[in-house]
Amino acid sequence: MQKHSDEALVAYLDGELGDAERAHVEAWLDADPSVRDRLLALAESATTLRGAFADCLTEPVPERLIAAARGETVTAVEAEIVEFRPPARRADLASPPSRGWYIQLATAAGLFGLVVGGGVGYVGNTMLAPAQIPAGQQLQTASLNNWLDNAAGDYKLMTSAGDTLVDVPASGDNGDVIQKVSQNLPQPVRLPNLQPWGLTFKGARLVVLEGRPAAQLVYTTDNKAIGPLALIIGSTKQADIAPTFERRQDLNLLYWRHQGRASVLVGQSELGYLWGIANDIAWQLDAI
Amino acid sequence: MSSRWKFGKPDRAASPIDPVSKRFSDQLIAVLPRLRRFAAGLTRSASEADDLVQAACERALAREHQFQEGTRFDSWMFRIVQTIWIDQLRARETRKEGGEIAEERLGSDEPVRRVEARLALSEVRQAVSQLPPDQRVTLMLVTVEGLSYKQAADVTGVPVGTVMSRLARARIALQQLLEAGAGGPRSVSNAEA
Repeated sequence: MQKHSDEALVAYLDGELGDAERAHVEAWLDADPSVRDRLLALAESATTLRGAFADCLTEPVPERLIAAARGETVTAVEAEIVEFRPPARRADLASPPSRGWYIQLATAAGLFGLVVGGGVGYVGNTMLAPAQIPAGQQLQTASLNNWLDNAAGDYKLMTSAGDTLVDVPASGDNGDVIQKVSQNLPQPVRLPNLQPWGLTFKGARLVVLEGRPAAQLVYTTDNKAIGPLALIIGSTKQADIAPTFERRQDLNLLYWRHQGRASVLVGQSELGYLWGIANDIAWQLDAI
Repeated sequence: MSSRWKFGKPDRAASPIDPVSKRFSDQLIAVLPRLRRFAAGLTRSASEADDLVQAACERALAREHQFQEGTRFDSWMFRIVQTIWIDQLRARETRKEGGEIAEERLGSDEPVRRVEARLALSEVRQAVSQLPPDQRVTLMLVTVEGLSYKQAADVTGVPVGTVMSRLARARIALQQLLEAGAGGPRSVSNAEA
């Protein structure tokens, strides 16, 4: 009888009972406080269980699984990017950032331009860099951190401010939008079509990526597992880099460089979606 | 922590599962985080879970033609993961490498496990790992992955009533384990009817 009771309680919690059975359980709950306690304990343990596995959805999916899903052979082992931050920034990171850090950062980048900021960053990083890390690697990693920070900041700014921050809103002729944005860029930008993912292009902003003007293309969707997303496309003189995953607070970033073009895809979407979308973008831009 | 992915050019000519339809692969990639979560609930380590998911991906690609359009792709993949895992368990039993032994072989001096053991959430995972395989699968499918009883029954190939009873036993046992602490009674493993 107890077994039957447990089944009924669990099924009640799971919404799997018919009307009559549900009414029966509710009458039982009304009549016996100990059953209510039991139901509450079962509900709490289920919540705890889900919490214990929640990280699986946000942590990076290993390279070998992505490759396996594509039926590809991975020829290089997973490599950790050397994590490097100048000591001063490490101290900053030790305490929780203020709510507006990303807005301040992105606004500062927009106002002063990272052409100068990037240069200062390079000098500062060199001076503060730990001796055991090769200088070239320090510069490269610090620079990478800078522009990924900026990409995350731009995204936060965009999602906080809404459509008001879009420099060139989407129109019936998005070719015209892209042309306007491209006028301010070293090389023209193409607009990836992400409609198959349910993503709608909302407009473009001018931002700075790797010390150069870049286009931030904004996509939105009702599907919160995917969007909103920002794709930043700029030019670069740095070496090609394979698609690489990074996190900034609650944001996932995928970035890559290919043949003079740097791209960053930023959003809160699940990594599997992000990978699929990045792959689609790369294919459309012929960037990977 | 960051990870860099670097893909080699796919060896299309040598691949026995070529050509892989892009849409199928995209579906597979999209469901990878959930497959990893499901596998994490079945296995005892992250690497073991990823091995399981990788094996499932390879099997799914090899059997792409068996997937019926219009049916749930995630359920199909969960079934593949479960099938492979059960096969692995049986193979271990044959080799006398039961889960208890495998856990002991990891050793109490394994630093990573020591750190994880201090985390409350890992205690929950540990509690899950003490459930019998059938209960573990059902618990993960319904309570974590959110499948209905009917969908879980389809994945596991048992009647809905069996799902219901397995789930109830799993939920009660989990609650008892959590109350006792994850390192609590081991007798739950033998409770499967």
